[in-house]
Amino acid sequence: MVIKLQYTFLLKVTLNQHQSDNFVICNLKQTSYFNIMNSTIKTNEGKLIKMSIGGYVTQPSFKNPGYIPDNDGKSVIYPGMFGVVNNVKVGDKAFGWAGDHIEPGVSIDSEKINEHFALHYLVCTGNKAIVRSGDAKGKVGIVTGEHARNLIHFDQKTLDKICIGDQVDIITHGRGLKLIDFPEIEIKKIDPNLLKAMNIKVIKGKLIIDVAIELPIRIMGSGAELNSEYVDQDLMSGDRQLMKKLKIDEMKLGDLIVINHADHRWGRSFKKDYVSIAICIHGDSVMTGHGPGIMTIMTGKKQYLGWSISRDANLKKILKIKK
Amino acid sequence: MKMKTNENLLVNVSVMGSVCQPNFQSLPAEPYRLDSNGNPFLLPSWGSVVHNVSVGDSAFGWEADCIHPGVSIKYSNETGNRGLNILSCVGNEAIIMSGDAKNAKGFVTGKSGRFSEQVIVHFPKKIREKISINDKILIKSIGVGLKISDFENVFCKSLSPKLFNKMNVKISKNKMNIPVAHIIPEHLIGAGSGLTSESGSLHIQTADNSEMKKHKLNNIKLGDIIYIENYDSSYQHGFLRNAWAVGIIGQTNGPRAGYGPGITILMSSKINNAKPKIETKANIVNYISFIK
Repeated sequence: MVIKLQYTFLLKVTLNQHQSDNFVICNLKQTSYFNIMNSTIKTNEGKLIKMSIGGYVTQPSFKNPGYIPDNDGKSVIYPGMFGVVNNVKVGDKAFGWAGDHIEPGVSIDSEKINEHFALHYLVCTGNKAIVRSGDAKGKVGIVTGEHARNLIHFDQKTLDKICIGDQVDIITHGRGLKLIDFPEIEIKKIDPNLLKAMNIKVIKGKLIIDVAIELPIRIMGSGAELNSEYVDQDLMSGDRQLMKKLKIDEMKLGDLIVINHADHRWGRSFKKDYVSIAICIHGDSVMTGHGPGIMTIMTGKKQYLGWSISRDANLKKILKIKK
Repeated sequence: MKMKTNENLLVNVSVMGSVCQPNFQSLPAEPYRLDSNGNPFLLPSWGSVVHNVSVGDSAFGWEADCIHPGVSIKYSNETGNRGLNILSCVGNEAIIMSGDAKNAKGFVTGKSGRFSEQVIVHFPKKIREKISINDKILIKSIGVGLKISDFENVFCKSLSPKLFNKMNVKISKNKMNIPVAHIIPEHLIGAGSGLTSESGSLHIQTADNSEMKKHKLNNIKLGDIIYIENYDSSYQHGFLRNAWAVGIIGQTNGPRAGYGPGITILMSSKINNAKPKIETKANIVNYISFIK
């Protein structure tokens, strides 16, 4: 596979200093530093397996009595996880809903535990989804992320026809994806077509990914206990003033984000000079240690992986998702 | 001389399986398997509908662990699944009985072994996206009980008479001359030894690349008919001097120690009554009417 790259011509431009010292273009004060390596990125797409897996539209579920504690210990009750969320979609805001951990679109899962894990380990964001039963049979959607279940976008007409329990098959494609010229960068759970559609540059031998927001490592919370192939990690949104100051509260579902000093190769941990790129997949939470969730798509050493801030770096635009 | 068999006495029985799901272990177990050097990996493995790998393709180079080409099926309970696995024979006709690909026809190309126990079926690539998880697939099984005239001590298993009749096996100097794509020395046989040979798979070991090159095994294709030296699969799989086994490559290579391309055994004998003949076209795609 070959990815067409956008050429960048940023000559002698003084760029605004970003909050991170790893914003690679900031260092490029002399034109001689500029070195656009090549116009293509090679991958092993031709060696990847395309494999079907089926999931079932889930039912919203609560443990009795259904309350969760908010940051002040107050009991609250909100919808959000599971099921078909009819009015929140990728590209919509991640904060501000009267909900908790809102999963946009349709959440599918399998009650058989080994199938549940296969769904988590094989399904990639950007994969094609096909409804196999019920009134929406034959309709096609697209995977927009992974939380406790796999999340799929369907257009509104299809959503109206989907019933709890309907079978949705995913044509999984992306597990094992590698960048031939960047073996130090690990790719996780993205369809090769999503990689091709992302805005990626190579500057001075380093891969630069367009992301909407940078998250400081110290706000990364729930999910650190899991291996990084499974589910997501929440940013901790409890410090509302900091969220506002860093404009993290403007985050949208589907935003590409970066965390500096985060190593997500085998788990999710602090490691200096590692960089992780992720996608915002679910909405904010009232619970301490929780907040919008991010799922990792790239991780590697800072010397190979960098980022550039672009507010447009959102799945809705990248995958041309229509409401 | 053409081979004669008891084909007319064989019983044709329908067996059913459903398109199966990929499976992974649950937490707190890590998802990673270990490659032959101890490095963790996480790749697609057996099961399900595989859209872009078919018999006739290379068994090497995929980002996968022993992938089954085409469609893998299983029956929902253990004894019924044993029935499916024992009675299905390579070359048997398969028919999709439910879903959007209903009535499409394919054929059995192999079986998988311990931990998965699935039957592998070829369907044309262009219809695979219509096949849903859980779709029912019927196999018109025929082949168990197959015997070859004058070679009663050759055990046939998972072998349809349709495939056997196309394999160009001939008699020469009281031996069966069998066209095969590769000859595998017994020391390169790994996972599967000691298990039943009536179903399941036996795997070539591929961790030693110099041995692979020496025996010209790096270009094995899915569907290749192969010959194993000094190996007895008459009842179970095991080493025996002068014994031989012939099988078909059913699944791809994998990174785990002992798990190279998988073989579904078709014939075996404890005595030296066969001779392999290297023939690069000895692949099921050249023997059974095949739409890629």
